[in-house]
Amino acid sequence: MTALLRYHTALLLRSQRWLPPVLLYGAFLAVGVQGGGPVLDSLGYAAAALLPVTAWLVRICATQEPPAARSVTAAAAGAPRAHLAALLAATLCAAALGAVAVIVVALISAPSGAAHQVAVPRPAAAGAGLVAGAVCVLLGLAVGALCTRPLLHARGWSLAATVLLALLALVGGGSPARYAVTGLVTGSRNGVVTLPLLPLLAAAVIAAAAAGVASVLTPLRGADGGRAAS
Amino acid sequence: MGRRYGLGGPWVLRGVDLDLRPGTLVRVQGANGSGKSTLLRLLAGIVAPSEGRITGRPRTAYVPERFPAALPFTAAGYLTHMGRIHGLGRRAAAAGAAEWLERFGAAAYARTPLGELSKGTSQKVAVAQALLADPELLVLDEAWTGLDTPAREQLDLAVTELVTAGASVVHVDHDPRRPAGAADAVFRVRDGRVEELPAEGPSRAGREPGRWARIVAVGPPGAPLPDALPGDPEHIAGEDGGTVLTVPAGYSDALLRALLTARPPWHIRHLEEAEEAAASPSATAVTAATTVHPTGTGTKA
Repeated sequence: MTALLRYHTALLLRSQRWLPPVLLYGAFLAVGVQGGGPVLDSLGYAAAALLPVTAWLVRICATQEPPAARSVTAAAAGAPRAHLAALLAATLCAAALGAVAVIVVALISAPSGAAHQVAVPRPAAAGAGLVAGAVCVLLGLAVGALCTRPLLHARGWSLAATVLLALLALVGGGSPARYAVTGLVTGSRNGVVTLPLLPLLAAAVIAAAAAGVASVLTPLRGADGGRAAS
Repeated sequence: MGRRYGLGGPWVLRGVDLDLRPGTLVRVQGANGSGKSTLLRLLAGIVAPSEGRITGRPRTAYVPERFPAALPFTAAGYLTHMGRIHGLGRRAAAAGAAEWLERFGAAAYARTPLGELSKGTSQKVAVAQALLADPELLVLDEAWTGLDTPAREQLDLAVTELVTAGASVVHVDHDPRRPAGAADAVFRVRDGRVEELPAEGPSRAGREPGRWARIVAVGPPGAPLPDALPGDPEHIAGEDGGTVLTVPAGYSDALLRALLTARPPWHIRHLEEAEEAAASPSATAVTAATTVHPTGTGTKA
């Protein structure tokens, strides 16, 4: 699995396909986060924006191999494992990006609540921000895995479904990401920092289920994206 | 097992019941579009059967018919990644990559990005990735297409070595004499069914006449001929305690290697190209050809 992860990560980083989602994330943060702003609000924003970015990275990783190379990898490692590795490589890259973003945001924001009435210690805020970020990354993995190969092959539908599902995962009632992010924003108002551990657990279960289903379906739903030439 | 497109799509293959034995070379034949490639992809584990199942999964390598992989790696970099995915360590993968590029005469392209390689050199990279980790099951989908003659011979040799070492090799190729003429089993794909044709195996059917190699080897006193020699050589006792072995020319390199690396090693006294298999009058002394199926993981489909 390590070799597969290294392969897919190298593929992602060298292909420069990571650039658009990472630039988008940078733009999100530049618009929504201001130096000296309330730390938990800024972290909530940084965490929420991670969800669509992760979904995008997962889509990129799941489709970045040309079909011939994908067949070769699938034969060597087993099609489900090869697909799972692609999903996980994207998730790990998104997690690294999110961790850097959370730490930078925690450092440049003011250690206080909304309207600067209550004090919010930076380390505790950063911890909560990291957990909320993890929740969003895991849900992004689920969204990305369900909206690309092998479940959705056509690029247009795949893109539309990713955007729609990412939005739903952020604002839909009952979504762990929504709980985690609103937890941060509420904490900013009353000065109580809570670690969103329950949403993290729920997100992990959802992500595992989505990635598992996608991986198991990979060899069944034409690893070649449709009809194979005979 | 069977395989079809989508949930309600047409069946490509149905009612397939095959047993892949270790140490065998299998040729798959059938018309264009008959489902040969689908059968190979099923055997390689790239796609799963829609009904039924495949049991036993040896270490597998697959070579596609065309490998126009525009990946952001150099040839050596890609092979090293693949070697590690096949389970080799970092050093072994890098060394294997260099060795196989060298064997296929593509060492000069080791630092060339894959996207800039010619079609033939890309195919060499695809073949090299499959061979560098000594697979137990090698699946070749017209892998010879696009290779130059020396590379084709290297691939023939590598296939022979793998089969000798107990691996299963399944291939599709429109040249029935490849590799080196022999197949231990032939699967014919027709109308969505796969049937196993009578083995042409170690029989000499279909082989080019006149392309035989005769090797005179001297073994350690009293030592029997090693088991499972490449090409199933016909052997008779020669002069001065030597043994005369006759194999199809395509197997001669592999046979020499097997003899020289046997324990204890054999001494090669003489090597010549022979006109026909059993030119010697003692053709009756030819031992019955035994196809050896070493125990190991097989793939039952």
